[in-house]
Amino acid sequence: MPEPKIIGFLCNWCSYRGADTAGMARLKYPPNVKIVRVPCSGRVSPELVLRTFREGADGVMVLGCHIGDCHYSTGNHRAAKRMPVLKKVLEYSGIDPERLCVNWVSAAEGERFAKIITDFTETIRALPPLTEEMTWTKG
Amino acid sequence: MEYKNVLTTCPFCGTGCGFFLQVLDGKIVGVLPDKKHPVSQGSLCVKGWNAHGFIYHEDRLKSPLIRRNGKLVEASWDEAIELVATRLGEIKAKHGPDSIALLASAKATNEENYLFQKFGRAVIGTNNIDHCARL
Amino acid sequence: MDQRLEALLQTIQKVLPDVDGIIGLKVNAAGHIAPHLFRKEAPAELDGLAIWPKYPTPDTLRLIQKAHPGAKLGMVVRGCEERGVVEMFKHAQVDLSNISLIGLQCTREEAEFCRCAKPYTAHAKLTVGEPIEGVPDPVTEGFLAKTREERLEYWKEQLVRCIKCYGCRNVCPQCFCNVCALEDEKWVGTGWLPMPLPPMYHLVRSMHMTAKCVACRECEEVCPADIPMAIQYRLIAGDVKEMFGYETGVSMDEKPPQLLVLAEGEFERTGLPH
Repeated sequence: MPEPKIIGFLCNWCSYRGADTAGMARLKYPPNVKIVRVPCSGRVSPELVLRTFREGADGVMVLGCHIGDCHYSTGNHRAAKRMPVLKKVLEYSGIDPERLCVNWVSAAEGERFAKIITDFTETIRALPPLTEEMTWTKG
Repeated sequence: MEYKNVLTTCPFCGTGCGFFLQVLDGKIVGVLPDKKHPVSQGSLCVKGWNAHGFIYHEDRLKSPLIRRNGKLVEASWDEAIELVATRLGEIKAKHGPDSIALLASAKATNEENYLFQKFGRAVIGTNNIDHCARL
Repeated sequence: MDQRLEALLQTIQKVLPDVDGIIGLKVNAAGHIAPHLFRKEAPAELDGLAIWPKYPTPDTLRLIQKAHPGAKLGMVVRGCEERGVVEMFKHAQVDLSNISLIGLQCTREEAEFCRCAKPYTAHAKLTVGEPIEGVPDPVTEGFLAKTREERLEYWKEQLVRCIKCYGCRNVCPQCFCNVCALEDEKWVGTGWLPMPLPPMYHLVRSMHMTAKCVACRECEEVCPADIPMAIQYRLIAGDVKEMFGYETGVSMDEKPPQLLVLAEGEFERTGLPH
């Protein structure tokens, strides 16, 4: 089984710093996640997540600041409203909503970051590659 | 203030889907499918949905163009038809009728296409006739 | 003449002297029906007043208002069309201050055709016909009973027929954006049929129908491939109600969740960690 491909959209102000904190503490976590730094979790549009799946990602992470801590005060509200709906869209389309991980990590939470990454990678590893599911049925 | 819908047939292919052109104050502003149309039954393809797009388009050809000294210039229909008839006649006389081919259009009616092939077979004298709807 | 049609005609005749025009449906000489603006100047046109099949008339209102912003208009609305204009009003697409809504209650047969949960109006002051209860939606319920794998297979069977005519977007009264994400090559590629999976067009459209779909089912009606896409929109509408307590078309002043900052307690209902 090939290694799962995971793209993580990390907000610049909390989660990305959280990843730095994890790195500085030399915490071990799986290397499957390719990190994309975004200004805010609210910047990550559903289209962007869907396109990431379309390009062959097996899992997508959207990590932002804890609610109330957003650098732009309500940017992560946007993510908190759109991403649960996107999970439902995936569910109703027959795509496992577990493939999308939405969570909150502050700059200080290196350990939390490493745990979220480890857990999510395990979740995705248990699923078949998305590209296998995303083929038209021959008939 | 006036808004009405005018029933028409899609000009794009031989299927003949029906739709309404939405007319607001004398200007066509959109297309609506005709739910009671026996052919299309309320559906359209992407061409039908955009069938009104060319009507007021600035690039739309409104008169024939004749190439004179390497440049396309506007001409009258009489001039254009005269030129086409003369040149086709010359080509037929010089190279024979089978040097000419006719390509019919889905944007014309059945009757016009019938006349067109008749023109090809009876007037010009060739069987080189084809139709653009062989998409 | 149908009783309901006669009652509607009488109501329109009552309203017409006080307005510049009334949006309704009219049958033409060939028996085909389409939206029409009835005016005082042409009272004979009312002979052609019709009620079925329905059309996306909220869009007609938007078109007319764009050209005549101050016009005093009447409009015949079914439940779904009323929800449509209410949502368009909230998104600043129509102005309802000069509009008199004439509610037309659907019959059971019509409601069953649309699998409609709310075949009645809620805001119109004048109404025609007896409101009836909503009817079940066996198609959506049947879909909901499927497993994830069955759902995926179901959509593959359906979407393989999609010819990307954009009809569902074009006919939708809630699709009024000047710039459409579905025409952006970043999100929806061109040049392949069947479209590559995952089906970006349909996924993005489902997402954009969130808290907007008014369940008029026009999209399914115009689909040349008979794709039952409203299933997704309706299920998501249910989730939006659960998560944000928002239902399209219910209230004139309640803001849709897109425009809101989440209040305390609303995160919990989204199912995200908090």
